[in-house]
Amino acid sequence: MPFEVLDESCVGLVENDGLLDDRERRLVVGAANFHALAGPGQTFRLTVLRGPRGTMPSLTDDQTRRIEWEDDREVVGSLVFRSSVHTTADAGSQDKLVDLAVDLGGEPEVASAYHQLNGVLGKVRRSVRFFAPVQFDVLRQYRTDMTERRYRRHDVPRKAPVRISRGASANPHGDTPAILFGLHWLELGGAERFALETIQLAKEAGFLPIVVVDRPSTHPWITRPELDGAVVVPLSHPISPDQESAFLNGVLSAYDVRGIHLHHSSWLVQRLPWIKSVRPEIPVIDSLHILEWRTGGFVDISVRMTNVIDVHHVISPMLRDYLIGRQGLAPERVKLATLANLTTGGIDQSGPVSKDHDGPFTVAFVGRFTQQKRPYLFLQLAAELKSSAPGPVKFIVHGDGELSSEVHGLIARLGLSDVLELRTPARPVADTLADADALVISSDNEGLTLTSFEATAAGIPVVSTDVGSQASLIAEDLLCSRHPYPFIKTAAQRIRTMMISPAQRKTWLDEQAAKAEAFAKLPDARTWIRDTYQGWLP
Amino acid sequence: MSTVAAVVVTYNRKDKLVKVLDHVLAQTRRPEWLVVVDNASTDGTDEVLAKYETNDSVVILRLSENTGGAGGFAAGMARGYELGADFVWIMDDDCYANEDALEELVNGLHQAEKAMDMELPYACSLVKWTDGGICEMNNPGTTWDWGKLIARGQENVLVTHCSFVSVLFPRWALTRFGLPLKEYFIWFDDQEYTLRVTKAGPGVQVLRSVVVHDLGVNRGVNFGDVNASNMWKFEYGARNEASFRLHHENPVAFLKFVVRLEQGLRGGKVPWSLRAKLFRKVIEGVKFNPKPDMPRSVL
Repeated sequence: MPFEVLDESCVGLVENDGLLDDRERRLVVGAANFHALAGPGQTFRLTVLRGPRGTMPSLTDDQTRRIEWEDDREVVGSLVFRSSVHTTADAGSQDKLVDLAVDLGGEPEVASAYHQLNGVLGKVRRSVRFFAPVQFDVLRQYRTDMTERRYRRHDVPRKAPVRISRGASANPHGDTPAILFGLHWLELGGAERFALETIQLAKEAGFLPIVVVDRPSTHPWITRPELDGAVVVPLSHPISPDQESAFLNGVLSAYDVRGIHLHHSSWLVQRLPWIKSVRPEIPVIDSLHILEWRTGGFVDISVRMTNVIDVHHVISPMLRDYLIGRQGLAPERVKLATLANLTTGGIDQSGPVSKDHDGPFTVAFVGRFTQQKRPYLFLQLAAELKSSAPGPVKFIVHGDGELSSEVHGLIARLGLSDVLELRTPARPVADTLADADALVISSDNEGLTLTSFEATAAGIPVVSTDVGSQASLIAEDLLCSRHPYPFIKTAAQRIRTMMISPAQRKTWLDEQAAKAEAFAKLPDARTWIRDTYQGWLP
Repeated sequence: MSTVAAVVVTYNRKDKLVKVLDHVLAQTRRPEWLVVVDNASTDGTDEVLAKYETNDSVVILRLSENTGGAGGFAAGMARGYELGADFVWIMDDDCYANEDALEELVNGLHQAEKAMDMELPYACSLVKWTDGGICEMNNPGTTWDWGKLIARGQENVLVTHCSFVSVLFPRWALTRFGLPLKEYFIWFDDQEYTLRVTKAGPGVQVLRSVVVHDLGVNRGVNFGDVNASNMWKFEYGARNEASFRLHHENPVAFLKFVVRLEQGLRGGKVPWSLRAKLFRKVIEGVKFNPKPDMPRSVL
């Protein structure tokens, strides 16, 4: 830690008797990390506040300088610490105590964006969304078409490069070899899961991970074991410009930063030109996971900043083609290294097996109940199949999430209760795959779905929307339009074919397995990251 | 090292096809894949292809219906792209490539790109007829500064468009511009596509890369040659070019095409009934404006 604790009350850092739970305690440490790095040698007193459920932490923004807070904030701790970051300032100027009030926010709350819509328009959209989710989705998909078409016509402007090869030295740097990571937030997600893996790899290679996250969140994953021993800094905005540079200066002077690895971090990527102007020799990798739906998102931010990024790491051929083919990046600066085996561990990979067809044909959905995954579309497909399948059919919906109440409502409304089983995430996905004859992915936006790997390993053909890089894993005939009605029509037709023709099902499964096998031969991300980190060692 | 997928589109030409495939497989720079698109042939092509299927580098794509040269090339190029090839090298089923044709194409494109200091969207071969002369149907159109690379000692010519008889496209051209318009079915699909990708820069004809086009008669496309038996091809040609000139160029280019068509038909004394049919196709071209499919990234 870049600070030493001088005193504390109820935080639980010295003795484990605080009022805070582990997540909250780590948020306090995160805030202390930021202020200790931004204020070398200074002594701070943090007054720790807790907000009502659903409010976001305020740990590093300008609000923390105010010693007045909202009526609904309770004080749950106090911490005095001194920054152990080396400073060249005279001791006198470091003597004063800096008072800060950090707000940990409330308990994490799961809420759909639609539940947060305000005003009459919000009410109308919520109602339409609830009563006609599929029809509403038709409009959404047309909007996506239009936005994408308009967006893709424009070339992404590029940030000018940093021409200097050596920054004028201001401070010596520390001895501890470190890697600076930039993450979106510490919540459930594919990019975050891989980011945590790389943090673990950095630790194993002998680096101290410094993990900066920049989006408002309650950061439920801050307690993950991969972050033990890392310097985690959850930023909250706005941060005053002098604090931003002070913080980054603190990081660069306290540690021997040997590399920067970005995982969808817009704050850190936008500060790269400055970092490169101060320390041009620090290599920068940007890992990209998904060609963002509707707009280019992180990928286009990455293209914009390409002159200050050394290697663009992509996990799918689609992203590679986009960067090289569409955006004209030099092939040698784009590294394709995939996460092919990310979650297939523990599932029997002995190859495709024929399912026993004594019972009803079982169609499964596995995924979070979010707008992106469109569980309502799966339910509509289930209703279509229930009325048109050539034999008995059963459905399993495995997941939970912000659209949970909608899912429950639709199951009743569509008359699926007798043929549909709901499973919570507490149950292993492998159980559902073992029970299923086909898996359906109805998302309107994906990178490369991890469940497709799992299904292939379990010998289940996958019917999927043709979005993101799904074409890399799914049999060609089983790729469907993301538009709701064409999706339902094609997916239902393919599933009916599987029911009457086990041979055709096997053909598709074999094509899927062959694709997975070819995909698995592409370079592996973990191996490449491990080798890259090794190369960054002093 | 870069990878190449050769793409051969075939329809009912099994005798010539064997020679075409053997020439591809005997290249000094052998392509990593040979994708053969069978446009639903009915002459026993399938049996001929079965012999090649044991070769791991050969991929047979059997289409359920005849999609024309345009549909065949679009499907074959898409498959080459899906296989992960860095280049696709496309040709007809009556094109015999000299043994170093691909090697020279790859080298010629590389040299031209180096000299021009830019990426170029395609390289095409010098297409000869069976008598060793130039094949009239396959002459590319040149840029105004076509001799730029010759002046620098290269045997490469800058071009604006070419026919689909031994053309090498880099993967990025497919990513950026998509596939040929399958809806064209036949004729003008090659010109439309090469003109489309030329937006990124000129193509290059590599004179050291030579192929032989085994056509029955060595004659270019001329509307004066229209007769009842070849009419069907000219109908596609008239519709496709009218559509291209109007929707991808401008109304003046469209009118110039109509005038050229009329002059050609008059010069060839083509019967009025056939002329009327062709002008109906030109009118069809006003509405006909297909959009290209984009290839899928699989590997």
